[in-house]
Formats: sequence, C-alpha cells, structure tokens
Amino acid sequence: MKLYRIWGLTLRYLFLFRHSLDRISDAFFWPTVDIILWGMTSSFFAKNLEGGGNTLILGLLGGIVLWIFPWRSQYEIAVNLLEDLWNRNLVNIFVSPVKFIEWVTALLFLGVGKAVISFTYASLLIYFLYSANILSVGLVLVPWAVLLIMFGWVFGLLVAGIIMRYDTKIQTLAWTSIYVVAPFAAVYYPVNSLPAWAQSIAHFVPASYVFEAMRSAVGGSPPPLSDLIWPTLLCLVYFALAIAMIYRSFNHILKRGLISVD
Amino acid sequence: MAILEVKDLKKTFGKNPVIKGISFDMEEGEILGILGPNGAGKTTTLQMLLGVLTPTSGSVNVFGKELMPNKTEILEKMNFSSTYTDLPWRITVSENLTWTSWLYNIVDRKQRLEKIKSIFRLEKLWHQSFGSLSAGQRTRVNLARSMINFPKILLLDEPTASLDPEVAAYMREFFADQRTKFNTSIILTSHNMAEVEELCDRVIILKDGLIVGADSPANLAKKMEFSHLRLRITKNASELDKLITLRHLAHIQEKNNYTITIKESLLPLFLYEVTKKNINYTEISIDKPTLEDYFLKVARSKSEAL
Repeated sequence: MKLYRIWGLTLRYLFLFRHSLDRISDAFFWPTVDIILWGMTSSFFAKNLEGGGNTLILGLLGGIVLWIFPWRSQYEIAVNLLEDLWNRNLVNIFVSPVKFIEWVTALLFLGVGKAVISFTYASLLIYFLYSANILSVGLVLVPWAVLLIMFGWVFGLLVAGIIMRYDTKIQTLAWTSIYVVAPFAAVYYPVNSLPAWAQSIAHFVPASYVFEAMRSAVGGSPPPLSDLIWPTLLCLVYFALAIAMIYRSFNHILKRGLISVD
Repeated sequence: MAILEVKDLKKTFGKNPVIKGISFDMEEGEILGILGPNGAGKTTTLQMLLGVLTPTSGSVNVFGKELMPNKTEILEKMNFSSTYTDLPWRITVSENLTWTSWLYNIVDRKQRLEKIKSIFRLEKLWHQSFGSLSAGQRTRVNLARSMINFPKILLLDEPTASLDPEVAAYMREFFADQRTKFNTSIILTSHNMAEVEELCDRVIILKDGLIVGADSPANLAKKMEFSHLRLRITKNASELDKLITLRHLAHIQEKNNYTITIKESLLPLFLYEVTKKNINYTEISIDKPTLEDYFLKVARSKSEAL
C-alpha cells in the first residue's frame, strides 16, 4: 500500500466536498433536525419525571449523537462509490497503479473523517441547546466510537458491494440500508424492551452493546470494558466478511469491464 | 524487443464470444492502430490490455511481465484515454489533474502539472468544473490526464473523436512527437482513417473478435487492386463507352464525367488505348486505393482470421 495513492483518492473526495453544498450540509442538517426533534420530545417527557430527567435527555440525545458514527461511516463509503459510478470514474482509478485495498482504505477513512466532524458538531449542539454533555461518560467513548465506526464500515462495504454488482438501479440502499438494523441496535431504548425474537437479533448487532453501555454509563453505572469483547469480535468477523464480499463484487465487475460499469 | 505481447486472448460475455483468440505484439516506440467496425471488440481489447477487464483466456505481457500479477508496477508506466470515460464533473480541471497525479509516483508534481497545463492548452479551463466543459474540451482534459505520468505505453480509444480539426491536428502532432522524443509506444483506436494512416506504423483490423488484417497502412492499401480513374471527356465519348464495355469495367457516368474502376496494373494500357482511339479529355485524376478502401472491403466481407 502506498500512502500517496491513498492521499490522491482522498483528495478526489475532499475536492468534491468543497464543490458540493449538499454533501457538506448533510453532515450537519440531519443531526440538527434529529437533535431538535428528539431534544424537544425528551425535554417534554423529562418535565413530567420526578428526578432522572437529565438522564432521559442525555440517554436519548447520546443515542442520536453516537448513531452518527455508524451512519456517517456507512453513508460515505456507499455515496462516494456512487459518485464514482455516476461519473464513470472507476476506470480512471483502476487504469492507474491504485490497488483495490488502497481504494477501499481511502473510502473507509473518509467515512471516519466525516463521522468525527458530524459527531463534534452534534455534541456541541446538544451541550448548548440542552446542557447535555456526552463527553461526561469519559474515555470509554473512544472504544465505543471505534466499534460503531467499524459497524458502519461493515454496512458501507456491504452496500457498496451490492451496488457494484447490481448497478445504480438499487442506489437508494446507499441512503437507507443502515436503518434496517437501527431498531435492533437499540439506539433509543434498552434491548430488553424489544420483543423476544428481536432481542435475539439484537445480540448479533454489535452497535446494540454500545448503546446499552452508553445508557448504563449515563445512569451512573458504567459497565466494564470487557463487555465490549463479544461485540468487537462480532464486528471483526462481519468486517472480514464485508471485505470478502466487496472484493468478490469488484472481481465480478472486472468480468464486465470497468468502462461499461455505471 | 516487444514491449507488449498478446497471446490467444479471448473474451466471452455470457454465451457471446466478443474476442475469439487474438495475438499480436508491439515494439517499443511503435504506434499501432486497432481498427474495426463498431462492436468488433476494440474497446474490449484495450480494457484487457489495461487489466480493467478479465480475459476469459489468453495472456497479456507488458515490459516482459505478465500483466495481472504485476499490474501496479506496469500501470505506473502506462496510461489510457477514451472518449467513453469521464472525470468527476463537479470538481475543476486543476483539481482533477491534481488528484490523478497523486496516483502516480511523480517527484516534480507541481512542475508536471504546469507542463501538462501548457501542452494541452488548459490555461483558460484550469479553474472551470469538468462538467461545464464542451465535449471537445473534456476530451482534451482526458488526454491531459492520460499524460500525467508521461507513460511508456499510451492507449488511446478514439482520442480525437470530438476535437475540432485544429486541436485534433495539434494532438496528432503531439503524439507523434512523444514517440520521436521519448520512444513512447501508442495503441490507437479510431474511425478516422486519415489519422490512422498519418500516425500508425502498423494497423490491426478487428472484425467479429478476430484479427482479419495486420500490416502497415500503406501495405494494407496496396492489397486493394482497383483504382478509380476520373476523366472529363470532351471528344469521342462513344469510343470510351465501347472501350469500357470491351474491358468489362465498372463505371459511373455523370454527363461527360466518367469514374472508372480499374485494376492498377491495367491503367497504363487503358490510357494508351484512350489516346489511340483519339478520345480527348480535359481533366484526369487517379485515386489510388487507401486504407479506408481496404477497411471497407474487410468490413463488408465475411470474417476470416489471419
């Protein structure tokens, strides 16, 4: 792997952000909408609670803010691939010495960059609007973020692989697919509030462990870090499978020829 | 020594064989033309030479190495431009050439970009978005991108298709110059026969996935036996009619203008007979067979591999 080639690919997407108001604004617009909507809702319910109101607000808004990590990292991978397909640019990339793994690496890190920017903005927003400080949970936020980003990568790679294989006619998956798993990730409510069958699924969704841990930490009883071993292992397995899947899809489109891919 | 060797290359899409086993090579500093009717397999062949399309079977060796296992190393010294590809539309010409330059190991990146800007006359387009350019301007930027690494082998898929005649001539001059100065090898597909005759040392003609002709443009043209003799007759036209009938020659007559299709070897004798029969003419021209005549003959005939 050569860093200059990864930088070249990253530059291509950074230049695009500079010229795309829609791509810049979506990093801020949806978090703002969610935070205002759920912030107002949770504030309303908190008023009627005796004690624990702040925990409710931070629990809900913390869910929204942490959800940014998987959402943005998935979205950036899938949408940046779409940009390359719309512009018939894949062939320009792969007639150069760029390796498949370098291209994937650039996509993954772009997602991280955008996720961190959106997260920072959303954290500041909930602090200023609702005095809710997500950083109060401490350094445990770092492993949570890593796990959630990796979970987003898994979805991003899967969606990118499916779009590559079946063309842009299924491109809406790029924007919507991660929401399929959102109910099982227990972003806004505890896993035990799900029906039994859904709880079984939630146990295989690594993000659900992070949101459970976040709620416990906000409630004053943070779980031990060792609770993250199982979801991390799950995530690593999913990540390996997603890489294998996108690699297979790439080899599949090589059989059709990159010039004809759109 | 051959810089590129293709052996028994085949490509089948589903049950449709598009390339049915082609073999050719290219010397260093050679300009090789690939011609063929639409759907003959030209772009498919170029894609396989670049490793962006997996062949069904056969081998491609570049710089003495097998392409696929050594793709990264080989593509550092190769590049490609096509009228069928685009660059990201929303970003500027300068940005597009900057990000692509980072895909290659270029030491003097800034100077290289300045040089490319000047060679391809991109000064006025430099800060315009790629999507705002005309088709010809986009082709020029695509060509500039393909020269960003000053490749040893350059593959051009209809490179001057949308350029105006002046820019197209400039580009042809530029590519010929690259070969003279830097020994660059070029593979060119084009429907512009004059361009191919001007630039190419050798031509491969593809039809239905097979090579049906391969030689220099001049030698391919020589394979055509017939020339076109044009005469403007002023006296004894009836004698000319008789002579044409006697020799069983195909001809087109428009008033006193005759276009006669005749074997090159019979031309001197026929002109001698025209003079002997006292047939007077004020204008005469002989159109010798061209690469285009050969191409048309091949395109209309049944495919048969060389």
